[in-house]
Amino acid sequence: MNATAATETDRGMTAREFFDGVRAGRLVVQRCAACGALAVPPKAVCPTCESTRWDRATLGGDGEIASYTVIRVPPGQLAADAPYVVAVARMAEGVSLLGRLTGVPIEAIGVGLPVRFAGALRDAEPVVIAFRPR
Amino acid sequence: MRRVAVIGVGVTKFGKHERTCAELFAEAGLDALTDAGIRPRQIQGVYVGNVVGEAGERQLHLGPQVTSALGIPEVAATRFETACASSHAAFRHALFEIASGAADVLLVGGTERVLTMPTDRSTEVFAYASDAVFEQPAGLTFPGVFALIARAHMTKYGTTEEQMAHVAVKNHRHGVHNPKAQFRKEISVEQVMRSAKVADPLKLYDCCPFSDGAAAVVLASEEVARATRKPVWVLGSVQAGDSMCLHDKRDLSRAMATERAAQAAYRQAGLGPEDVDVVELHDCFTIAEIVATEGLGLCEPGTGGIAAEKGETSLGGRIPVNVSGGLKAKGHPIGATGAAQIAEITTQLRGEAGPRQVDGASVGLTHTLGGNTATVLVSLFGQEPR
Repeated sequence: MNATAATETDRGMTAREFFDGVRAGRLVVQRCAACGALAVPPKAVCPTCESTRWDRATLGGDGEIASYTVIRVPPGQLAADAPYVVAVARMAEGVSLLGRLTGVPIEAIGVGLPVRFAGALRDAEPVVIAFRPR
Repeated sequence: MRRVAVIGVGVTKFGKHERTCAELFAEAGLDALTDAGIRPRQIQGVYVGNVVGEAGERQLHLGPQVTSALGIPEVAATRFETACASSHAAFRHALFEIASGAADVLLVGGTERVLTMPTDRSTEVFAYASDAVFEQPAGLTFPGVFALIARAHMTKYGTTEEQMAHVAVKNHRHGVHNPKAQFRKEISVEQVMRSAKVADPLKLYDCCPFSDGAAAVVLASEEVARATRKPVWVLGSVQAGDSMCLHDKRDLSRAMATERAAQAAYRQAGLGPEDVDVVELHDCFTIAEIVATEGLGLCEPGTGGIAAEKGETSLGGRIPVNVSGGLKAKGHPIGATGAAQIAEITTQLRGEAGPRQVDGASVGLTHTLGGNTATVLVSLFGQEPR
């Protein structure tokens, strides 16, 4: 799926804005107004072309697993979640995102598994991206 | 730029300590000064790597605490933090201070206490070195970071869990000969493969331990170094960076910062990977050693696991890697690791490493990763100045 057209020029996108989008079920990311490169996390300067002019783009939400792991020894505050799957998904538009993969048995996960952005993992801060298999 | 040499080294035993970070650094620092034949008051500055001082000891402003513990409180002292590469970054800063002529003799190293915390707390604190907004909330731990790298490497190149296990087995075999190592016992591939899963595909024996300890080296100008017993010369030292977030890196199966730092360091030294006799590199996890041997040009891309399996990176092999035992067996007191690697290479190039000595080693390399490969330092050392 292609990114939607830009609506405004912006060089001040924040992580807060990105995660507010995630909570609302949207993947709104920075897009370089000069070369079209997508950026997550937001950046001041485009790493590809050094432009400082940014638009926004909304990703379609489809991607595939680029890598994944099953966390069995969690940090203390996430003890109740373990084991859980953290994955990097390469989105159809070319940018990658890190989040939790849910809704699939561990044995069925593999690199290349088609996934879809599924909003926020839970309705609480801090916001975590969730993916589910397509 | 002036020539600079390492003229003394000191490393504490790695493992669990009851002494403070500053006390541990004082032990390593005094050993380094004694080794160098330098009086404490000849030191013109101290740079100390430390990562989790706030969490481990409720300590900030570590610089004057270590000089106070050494008994030279009037000497300028600064703490460096680049995650696990902290003392290597401190070393490079000291190198340039001497090379520029601003100082002649500096003490540099690192110190860490982690075992003051239970594992769930230290797992959380170590994760602070990943992105607090985009990575930590998802529950990405450091074993998790390198598990994601491992899975990508396995997918791209066919690297196996057994090949990774061979890295652990080799480094444990080396560590037997290092009296400062945390673990001095051999393990088998089967033991690694049977150990508890931490972050699939990484198992407990793919992971370095949590460690307390300190390491220090004395750096000096050529004029000072020429009057000491066995100076080891710094031939090159480069720090490189990469995106903070793992998902934002170009290729998960490579460490681009390692490749950039290595290429620039080889250029500085006028050397190539084929000229290196002994390597201490950042094996925080077994896959990290495999990716590093490729990024440093010691192995072709995708063959780091095969090299470990075939013994090419063992003591006596084509290019011995981590003859100290590496982070895996020697231990990884994170702020001290870079300095401990430099101390090992210095000892090797002096020909004083005993049963773990690489015969005829005249050029050595150290490689230290910070965080999820977002900071990398590579330094080259020689028996002769360039």
